[in-house]
Amino acid sequence: MEANTQPTQAQTGKQDSGLKYVASFALMILLTAVAFAAVAMNIVPQGWVIPLILVLAAVQVFLQLFTFMHLDLKKDAVTVSFMVTGLFIGVVCAVAVAILV
Amino acid sequence: MATIVVLIVFALFLGAILTGGYNKQMLARFRSHWLWDWITTVDHKKIGILYLIGGTIFFVIGGIEALLMRTQLFYPNNDFMVGRTFNELLSMHGTTMIFFVAMPLLFALMNAVIPLQIGARDVAFPFLNALGFWLFLCGGLLMNLSWIFGNAPDSGWTNYVPIALNEYSAGTGIDYYVLGLQISGIGTLIGGLNFIVTIINMRTPGMSFLRMPLFTWTSFVSSALILFGFPPLTAGLFLVMFDRLFGANFFDVAAGGNPVIWQHLFWIFGHPEVYIVILPAFGIMSEVISTFAKKRLFGYTSMVFATLLIGFLGFMVWVHHMFTVGMGPVANSIFAIATMAIAVPTGIKVFNWLFTLWGGKIRFTTAMLYAVGFIPTFVLGGVTGVMLASPPGDYQYHDSYFVVAHFHYVLIGGTVFGILAGVYYWWPKMFGYLLNEKLGKLNFWLFFIGFHMTFFIQHFLGLFGMPRRVFTYQPEDQVELINQISTVGAFLQAVAVVVLVINVIYSYRNRVPAGNDPWDGRTLEWTITSPPPVYNFAQLPKVRALDAFWHEKMNGKKELEPAEPVGPIHMPNNTHLPFLMSLAFFVSGLGFVFRSNEVGALGLIFVFLVMFMRSFEQDHGYHIETDEIEKTEKGASV
Repeated sequence: MEANTQPTQAQTGKQDSGLKYVASFALMILLTAVAFAAVAMNIVPQGWVIPLILVLAAVQVFLQLFTFMHLDLKKDAVTVSFMVTGLFIGVVCAVAVAILV
Repeated sequence: MATIVVLIVFALFLGAILTGGYNKQMLARFRSHWLWDWITTVDHKKIGILYLIGGTIFFVIGGIEALLMRTQLFYPNNDFMVGRTFNELLSMHGTTMIFFVAMPLLFALMNAVIPLQIGARDVAFPFLNALGFWLFLCGGLLMNLSWIFGNAPDSGWTNYVPIALNEYSAGTGIDYYVLGLQISGIGTLIGGLNFIVTIINMRTPGMSFLRMPLFTWTSFVSSALILFGFPPLTAGLFLVMFDRLFGANFFDVAAGGNPVIWQHLFWIFGHPEVYIVILPAFGIMSEVISTFAKKRLFGYTSMVFATLLIGFLGFMVWVHHMFTVGMGPVANSIFAIATMAIAVPTGIKVFNWLFTLWGGKIRFTTAMLYAVGFIPTFVLGGVTGVMLASPPGDYQYHDSYFVVAHFHYVLIGGTVFGILAGVYYWWPKMFGYLLNEKLGKLNFWLFFIGFHMTFFIQHFLGLFGMPRRVFTYQPEDQVELINQISTVGAFLQAVAVVVLVINVIYSYRNRVPAGNDPWDGRTLEWTITSPPPVYNFAQLPKVRALDAFWHEKMNGKKELEPAEPVGPIHMPNNTHLPFLMSLAFFVSGLGFVFRSNEVGALGLIFVFLVMFMRSFEQDHGYHIETDEIEKTEKGASV
């Protein structure tokens, strides 16, 4: 029985999730375009360019994780702990190197 | 270029003569050859054996390099291997031993044992497993080709820039290092990922995380370290590659670059790397000690916790390799304290091993001798490690033979002893016969004495002020006797390795079937035949406790209860694509080394072509039917 219920669930969720992928894909392209525009077209004041790009990047990372990597679907402790550990190690290394170099 | 074309045509002719011409039967002849079976295999047991052979070949090469260096240092002012040649030897020795010996040999044991220990029929991604091996082999061969073309990497295994840039290292030596490591690094990353997924997803019913044998646990953590640790190396190697090949200036101070970035990237990878190679060895020791003391591992949960903690802290300490760069007392102190903190979980492990031995019914087999020899040796290496972790001390020890002694104590006394213990312990499971114990013990004592003779005395060599990586010394330095003792010890180790090879040949000639369980084991791998059938477990076993097999033995049963009925087993098909893809990477790497970007790009295009083939290939594997399984199982029990 359990094996039967899963595909039906996926089928019912199929229509709106397809739209979700397209929407978030478009949003990502838009975010990337904004980042390029911020550098190329001098719309934003000089000092704000890097913070702006970082914020855009953070938004995009979450979009990636939740729509394409399905972090919202799998309530799997192992997956989440790997993600968090990787993020933590990455941040520690990046910040330390930025300070020390 | 013309030379290469001529060589290829010549090789094709020779191939035609030897194989009987290029005709319709040729493909069939290829397919029926035993070598084809090994090239296309996706079976984790066979890939484990391939890793073992590959790692051993590079072990011999790296060992010969070490012997040549020790021979040069036998006399003051010796002129046997001087200058650049000596630099090449020391660089290739370090790189080979870490990347092409320690890691593949551990992968060999991981491949051979982990699926059996967790009750799985294969790894999660058999295709990637094969790809990982062939990429490692191609990377290793590419790097060692540098000897033949007369221009080996010569700026140390750490490959510090700016020494490693074109300005100071002209020629192609460093390119072999960069591209060889890049290619084998992809393979290692793939292997690590594969084991993470295998261990998370493929455990048999009842095998919860806290019932996994410790070797599986430590390999799991070290695979996670590979996953997080190798990307920084890949990034760093790309920077060096672009600086050297395409005229970028990431490390050119005049153009706004910074050479210290390489050191950071290298050690952000490099420190986890030493835990990647030591943690599986810890796991092997735990298995061996527990089996041969006939006791459950003392403090199993704390061992798991300590492993996780070591893995995590391993990423927070890389700056201790760079104390003398001059980052200031605050940075140095933070990283010194973080480094010393690692001694705590490591100490927990050492005490747990001792308490496991305490009151145990100890059998001193060769594997156990290596395990028992490992404990004091590794503690010595750990103690000098804490000494080096203190920045004021480190300023004195830095770049001296003290450091050489320290890391050989942890790498040989830890990793190599671990690998050898594992080889003696799991050899019957891998090949179906035991290694001779008498020769094994001779091998252990020669290696143990030779090792301490070589490296114990090097601590003092360092304290007396001899710097590492120099090819000679003067008579008035008064380090001649110490160097000579060290060299004799190195040759003793070489003799020990020869004894091991003799042991393998002798034991093969006089082999008797070892049976399923020669050591009175505790874990799942000893419940099945040696060597196991292709599908490992006819029925997946049901695990009811830690040390599952021992638990059943104590309850008066001979085997584990099955968790499923006998049924057809789904197996993956053999495939030649991993070999082809690695070959393409190899050609690409060789092209870039020779600064022929066309060949390099062509190789990469071929890589993508093979990826494309793989993506659209309909390969659903095959099934082993029930009657065939029953026949195999019956044959095994007779």
